[in-house]
Amino acid sequence: MSPELLGAWVAAGLTLAIFSFLYKDNPFFKFGEHLYIGISVGYSITLLVFNFMIPKWWTPLFREGRMSLLVPTVLGLLIWTRFFPRFSWLSRWAFAFVVGFGAGIAIPRTISNFIFRQVESTAVPLVSRGQQGVSFGWGDFSNFLIAFGVLSVLTYFFFSVEHKGPIRPLARAGVLFLMVSFGASFGYTVMARVSLLFGRMYDLVEYSSRGYGYATLVLLGLMVAVFLAQALSKKREGG
Amino acid sequence: MRKLAEKILSMDRRAIYLLMASAALLPFLTGPLGLPSRVSPEVKAVYDRIESLPEGSPFLISMDFDPASKPELYPMAEALVRHAFRKNLRVIGMNLWVTGSGMAEKILSDVAEEYGKKYGRDYVYLGWAPGATNVILGLGQDIYKTYPRDYYGNETSGMPVLEGVRTLKDIPFMVDLAAGDPGIETWVVYGKAKSMAGGCTAVIAPGMYAFLNSGQLVGLIGGMRGAAEYEALLKEMGKATVGMDIQSTTHVLILGLILLSNFAFFATRRRR
Repeated sequence: MSPELLGAWVAAGLTLAIFSFLYKDNPFFKFGEHLYIGISVGYSITLLVFNFMIPKWWTPLFREGRMSLLVPTVLGLLIWTRFFPRFSWLSRWAFAFVVGFGAGIAIPRTISNFIFRQVESTAVPLVSRGQQGVSFGWGDFSNFLIAFGVLSVLTYFFFSVEHKGPIRPLARAGVLFLMVSFGASFGYTVMARVSLLFGRMYDLVEYSSRGYGYATLVLLGLMVAVFLAQALSKKREGG
Repeated sequence: MRKLAEKILSMDRRAIYLLMASAALLPFLTGPLGLPSRVSPEVKAVYDRIESLPEGSPFLISMDFDPASKPELYPMAEALVRHAFRKNLRVIGMNLWVTGSGMAEKILSDVAEEYGKKYGRDYVYLGWAPGATNVILGLGQDIYKTYPRDYYGNETSGMPVLEGVRTLKDIPFMVDLAAGDPGIETWVVYGKAKSMAGGCTAVIAPGMYAFLNSGQLVGLIGGMRGAAEYEALLKEMGKATVGMDIQSTTHVLILGLILLSNFAFFATRRRR
C-alpha cells in the first residue's frame, strides 16, 4: 500500500468518524477526537523542541557558550516554582517581567492602531469640496453612515443617561446598526462553516474513486453496518 | 396543513444534516453550475498591489492558519503564491501557527515546483517560531536574528532570496492569511511591511473591514468567496471556485429551510 493510498484511507476514515457525531455520540467519534488532540499536541511539542529550543536555546547556550541566554532561562525556570508553595513567590519576578514587557509593548501600539487610527478614519469630512463648490456624493454618504453608525451605537451603550426623548431614536438606530452587523457576521459564519463542509466533501468524493480503492464508500459502509448492528442488538435487548 | 407545519417544526435534526450533505454533494454530481460572480474591490486591490510590484521584489506571506481552516485559506495561499511566482517576486514564507507549519511548507514547495522556482534563490520558508508578538517585533528589527535558520535548518544569512532584506521595512508588500489570533490584528499592531493586505476566514472577515477602511490594510480577501475571486483574477479555476457552487446550493437550502420553518411557526401559532 502506497503512502498516498494509506493517507487517503486514514483521512477518509477520520473524516467519517468525526462526521458520525451528527448521528450520535459514538466510539468512532471519540477515537477521531482523541487522536486529533493527541497528534496536535505531539506535533506542536516536537516542532517546539527541534525547531526552536535546540537551535535557539540549547545549542547557543550549552555548545556555543552564550551566557546571556541564562537570563531568560532562569526567568523561565522561575515560573515553574508555582508548583512549590514555599518558593512560589519567585515566580512573580518572571511574571512581572512578562507583564511589564507585554504591557509596555502592547498598550501604546494597541491604542494607536485600534483607537486613534479608527477614530481618524471615522472623523472624515461628510461633504466634498471641489472646484464646483460643496457636493454630497456616494462616498460622502458612506462616510456619513460610518460616522452616524458609530455615534448611534456608542449612544446605545451609554447608560449614564436614560434612553428617552431625543436620545431614544438615536439609541434605537444604534440597535439597528448592531443588528445589521450581527447579521453580516452570522452570514459570514455560515459561509465559513459551509466552506469547511466543502473541504471535507471534496476529499471524501475524491477518495471514493477507484484509484483510492473506494476508501470513502467502503469505510462509510462499514460504519453504517456497525450502527445498524448496534441498533438491532439494542432493539433485541429492549424487546 | 397544521399537521404538516407541526411535522416541519419537529423535524429530526439529522434529516437537516442529510439535506445539507445532499446539497453539498449536488455540484459534484452535476458538474460546475457556472453561476456568475463579481470581483470585489478589496480583493482586486490585493491583486493590483502585487501586479504593481517590480520583478524581483521581496514579498512576504505569513500563513497563520492550521488544517482546520484549510478549505478557505489553502486555495487563497496557493493563488497568492502563484501570482507572486508569475510576477517573479522573491517569496518569503512564514507561519505563526505551529500546527499549520507543515501545511504552509507544502503550499510553497508545491507551487514552486509548478513554476520551476528554486529554493533559496526564488523563495524561502522561514517556518514557525513561538511567541507571535515577539517574532513580529523581531522581524521589525532583524530578520536574521529572529530566523537565523529556515524551516529546513539552512542558515538564512547569505540566501539570495533575502538579499537586501534586513527588516520588515525592506519588504514592500506583505499578505497575512489568518484564521484568528495571532493573525491580521497582531501584524497590524506589532509591525508590518511598507504595505500590508489580509486574507482571512469568513468568520473573522467582518471585523477586518475596519482596518481596510482606515487604510491599515490595502486589501482584504475574505473567506472562500474572496479566494474564488482571486482565482478568477488569475484566470485559474481552483478549489475555491469549485467550492462556490457548494456555497450556492447549501445557501439556497438554508434560506429555504429558514423560510419554511418561519412559515410553519406562524401557521401553527395562528391556529392556536
